[in-house]
Amino acid sequence: MNLLEISGLGFAYPDGTVALRDVALSIERGEKVAVVGPNGAGKSTLLQLIAGFRMPFTGRVIVSGKELKESSSDEIRRDLGLLFQDPDDQIFMPTVEEDVAFGPRNLDMDDIEERVLRGLRSAGIEKLAKRQPHKLSYGMKKRVAIAGVMAMDPKVLLLDEPTSGLDPRSRMELIKLLKGMDRTMLIATHDLEAAAEIVDRAIVLNESVVMEGTLRDLVMAKDVVESAGLELPPISRLFKVLDAMGYPIDSLPVSMDQAVAELTMVMDRNGKHVHAHIHEHDHIREKAKAEHAHETR
Amino acid sequence: MTVGHLRGHGNETIQIDHHSNASWFGLIDSRAKLVGVLSFVVVSATLTDADLIVASLAVALAFAAMSGVRAAILIKSYLVALPFIVLASISVFLFVSIESGINMWARTSACVIPLLVLVSGTETFDLFAGLRRLRVPAVITTLLMLTHRYILVLSGELARMKVARRARGFRGGRSLLDKYGLKVLSNTAGMVLVRSSVRADRIYEGLKARGFDIEMHAWHKTRIDSRAATLMACFLVVSAALVLLQLEVIA
Repeated sequence: MNLLEISGLGFAYPDGTVALRDVALSIERGEKVAVVGPNGAGKSTLLQLIAGFRMPFTGRVIVSGKELKESSSDEIRRDLGLLFQDPDDQIFMPTVEEDVAFGPRNLDMDDIEERVLRGLRSAGIEKLAKRQPHKLSYGMKKRVAIAGVMAMDPKVLLLDEPTSGLDPRSRMELIKLLKGMDRTMLIATHDLEAAAEIVDRAIVLNESVVMEGTLRDLVMAKDVVESAGLELPPISRLFKVLDAMGYPIDSLPVSMDQAVAELTMVMDRNGKHVHAHIHEHDHIREKAKAEHAHETR
Repeated sequence: MTVGHLRGHGNETIQIDHHSNASWFGLIDSRAKLVGVLSFVVVSATLTDADLIVASLAVALAFAAMSGVRAAILIKSYLVALPFIVLASISVFLFVSIESGINMWARTSACVIPLLVLVSGTETFDLFAGLRRLRVPAVITTLLMLTHRYILVLSGELARMKVARRARGFRGGRSLLDKYGLKVLSNTAGMVLVRSSVRADRIYEGLKARGFDIEMHAWHKTRIDSRAATLMACFLVVSAALVLLQLEVIA
């Protein structure tokens, strides 16, 4: 059964600018989906529409069997956990644990103590319970915001650019955290590399849905990637170079796991092994020496 | 108490949060503190008898000394308030008499000092939560809580804009005659206003996304224990005694 069902969704801002046109999307229970696209493509607007913050719109949004209307938006938001791009927009209370308890208390949920503990644990910040959130680093604030959302036990997580503004370590930690969560997710991002690690499939949005499929399908569609202003993950770029050099590749991998699988597959197929080395060279004068990877039998 | 932001990794292990509730006074139920201190302040503000004003100042100083709130914080805060106190006292001194001027200074100080102890010795959120529990309308306390929460965020934005201005060579705005400088600063103020408005929209959505109605519910609520009741009773008794002495009901 689809937990989130969107059909014919359209929205224009009061000044007439069209943000979304005839968007259709369905997400099954437990599925993780990324919405990728350039700035201004309507990704954040899509999340806000699903959460009932922007109305009126054309089309239908059904969350967990309930149709979104002005009158039902509060009820529908109980099933949704919205993570904002800037955690400061959703952290309100003086201590981390108080903030995590904020949602469950507002919704009169039972067993708040247990929910807070679960929320803190799911974000890996049990030790920060008594800290003042506004004094934490940006990455930790993101985790506090995630804990606050998780304490409400939402059916669907809506994440708006979860990795933006994070340093590499915090980013990797957050990716690992989201990857490990057994929860239905819709992630708006233009970080393809992060999306590749977390989601099962992706849709490319640019006012309307341009393409839908796995991240691997997406990186193979050169025109779509270029028109959506997306940048291939470094691992995909590397394999694109290898492909150009004649290395036998079926499709570009988008994550490290896929890259390892691809290499292993080629080795099994050809009975070869692969080793890569780095050396200094000059592209203009020593074109012949410009090979980064080579095969030996 | 407003303290600068921490950045970077490992901050979770650094405990430099300012603890307003590090003293015994900080641990007391905020309702008891509010009722006790405010009743004393109201009474002190209405005193006219010089001896009673001195007595109320002595009570205020004794309370500050016993509260356990760090003296340095109180002195700094008092120094910030001092120009206003002096201004009020000097105007009375000039237009009435020296004695009235001194009385004004003592009376104002007797009011300001307990308030400084209250504010410095209580987490701001607890203070507003206490007001709410004393039946102050939720719309007021919620606004106060959110204003306090987002002053930090806005001051951070102001600081970043200041750095950005300086990074692009702006050195003006130090004189009222510097028209260009004033123009730049007023543009900055306008920009902060616009950013605040945009952020306010996002905050509202953030609140709604987490089931907010109108009230900021504190999770752990304190109770009026024997210590809180004693403190409140002490203030009420002292205030009542000052009123009765002022009205010459008791000699």
